[in-house]
Amino acid sequence: MHQTLLTLAIIGYVAATGLALAFLVQRDELLHRLAALATLAAWILHTGALIALAIELGRPPFGSLPEAISVSAWVVVLLDMSLERRYGLSGLGAFVLPVALALSLQSASIRPLIGQTLSGAWVWVHIGLALVGIAAFVFNFAGALMYLLQERQLRAKRPGVLYYSLPALATLDRLTYRTLALGFPFLTTGLLMGVLWAGASWGSVFAFDPVALLSYLAWAVYAATLAGRAVGGWQGRRAAYFAIVGFAALALTLGAGLFLPGRHGG
Amino acid sequence: MALFVAGLSHRNAPVELREQLAVDEDKLREVLRDLAATGVVREALILSTCNRVEVYAVADVPGEARAATFRHLCSHRGVDAAPVETALYTHAEGDAVRHAFRVAASLDSMMIGEPQILGQVKDAFAIAQSCETVGPALHTLFTQAFTVAKRVRTETEIARHAVSVSFAAVELAKKIFAGLVGRGVLLVGAGKMSELAARHLIDQGAFPLYVANRTWARAQEMARTLSGTAVPFDELPTALAAVDIVVTSTGAPDPVIKRETVSRVIAARRGRPLFFIDIAVPRDVEDTVDTLDGVYCYDIDDLKQVVDSNIRERAREAHRAEALVEREVAKFLVRQGDVEVIPTIVSLRERLEAIRAGEVKRTLSRLPDATPETRAAIEAMSSAIVNKILHAPITKLRESSRAGSPRSWLELVHELFGLGRGRNE
Repeated sequence: MHQTLLTLAIIGYVAATGLALAFLVQRDELLHRLAALATLAAWILHTGALIALAIELGRPPFGSLPEAISVSAWVVVLLDMSLERRYGLSGLGAFVLPVALALSLQSASIRPLIGQTLSGAWVWVHIGLALVGIAAFVFNFAGALMYLLQERQLRAKRPGVLYYSLPALATLDRLTYRTLALGFPFLTTGLLMGVLWAGASWGSVFAFDPVALLSYLAWAVYAATLAGRAVGGWQGRRAAYFAIVGFAALALTLGAGLFLPGRHGG
Repeated sequence: MALFVAGLSHRNAPVELREQLAVDEDKLREVLRDLAATGVVREALILSTCNRVEVYAVADVPGEARAATFRHLCSHRGVDAAPVETALYTHAEGDAVRHAFRVAASLDSMMIGEPQILGQVKDAFAIAQSCETVGPALHTLFTQAFTVAKRVRTETEIARHAVSVSFAAVELAKKIFAGLVGRGVLLVGAGKMSELAARHLIDQGAFPLYVANRTWARAQEMARTLSGTAVPFDELPTALAAVDIVVTSTGAPDPVIKRETVSRVIAARRGRPLFFIDIAVPRDVEDTVDTLDGVYCYDIDDLKQVVDSNIRERAREAHRAEALVEREVAKFLVRQGDVEVIPTIVSLRERLEAIRAGEVKRTLSRLPDATPETRAAIEAMSSAIVNKILHAPITKLRESSRAGSPRSWLELVHELFGLGRGRNE
């Protein structure tokens, strides 16, 4: 049940991504509406898949890293729909949906972890907070990417397709700042909980675990960006580059969790 | 009775000819009233702008009505009718509907998507209405044309991108700053062009405004007309730190905005972007200024390039708009066709029903002993015959209206069933 729904949801996300990219180039209102419709349909299927999984497992559906990533893709799509509608950021989907698609693809072959050693409320809070943080940083990344593309258009002085379909620089800069400010506390608290929990149950905070180590790196990049923005008056291009580096570190973290052996691995 | 439009526009007639025919509002009323008085047209509307003079009319004999209308127009303006007559284009029926929709939607304009034409069509409509030359046909046509024009405007980007240099500058500013409310503007040099750009920026909420000029009196004057503040020319760096948008238009032979100055200002701005609109030739802003982080500089050629790109964008959107208009024309004609054939169908039914009722009455009067059952049977049978006979012609009429050519069928039916009287009334 869960597998079927998830597969359907992924097909829906593929369609939505294609339509959103087509809209970015064509700017045909019809494509936009179709993309929104496909996104909503896929998201509903995804919701169903998560509920089915939770029922199957008899616990929240984010007990392992692949599961948590699937949930964060779900949060990303939810945020995308509300941001597009509320702020009229109609080009956002083209940048966010591919990431959401990639995130949900890796969870296509979830092997449910039943009877694993996850215990205590803390670990659930750790995962929950971290996945909301990851969702926020997906938008941070998308905003930064859009900023750099629009900036290039404006510097080139030859308006191309993206000049017309991307929002204003100030809007994009605000988007990256806000998502950073939103994601950072979640990531920080999530990491902190992980550290404390690790200290208690692994015996050491620095026990070799690729996910833990890489996530400290991502955290450091985001912390530096936030400090630069808040105190150093960083804006625009520099902040955008840092957002992209931060997200790369985050992606590595998740990749390590999925493919390298370690305590986060499946 | 037929709808047609005849006229001349920027597409086929030179301005020398168009200006001869252009009429002002009072004259327009006069012409319309005269035209109505002659009785050659049933309905008429005249659209007269600097790019077109067109008559939309409904007449029994369109060719005659067209000639009479333009003879009228020419004689009112004291113009020789012959050259006008040869330059005229005419569209009838569906083509006339399409033309009306395209004109109102600004697809036939010299600058595609320009917003004035819709207002001009609305004015022409109001004038014709006040002269009582608008009947049901033109009323339906133009109310629908206004709706179509609005759809084109909101559903395509045909009118969204600036096609003048000063508006293009405002659009760029918006692409950098999002909203312009509360963004400071500095004018360096007090020319006409920079005043125009400043007005557009102020219209978008830009504030405050500073004016720097070599001639102090001129700076003050300009500051007064734009409700801004004059600043001394040597205090440019201070002013640069306080604003977001700088419009330069001095006649200076060398750049007045140096890279060195700007790079010092940038440090104090904590990353806030600075946008230079340099409309001076020779340029006022040093070439290398826009390599600085957070600084954008567009000179007059850059702005023209943006305008060109916007015009291409409009042309692209025009394709989508044309498709939309085409769909609307088809819908309109179908509705119109239905409206046209319905009276005929009704009178056809009435006619046959009258015959049937008369014959039934005569028959029954000769059968005084008929039981109620027999009477009912006779009624039923005669009704069935009438319905069976009517089925084919009514279906055919409906089909012909959907195909957009009901007229010959309507005439045939009227002839065959002797419905002549009462049509079009």
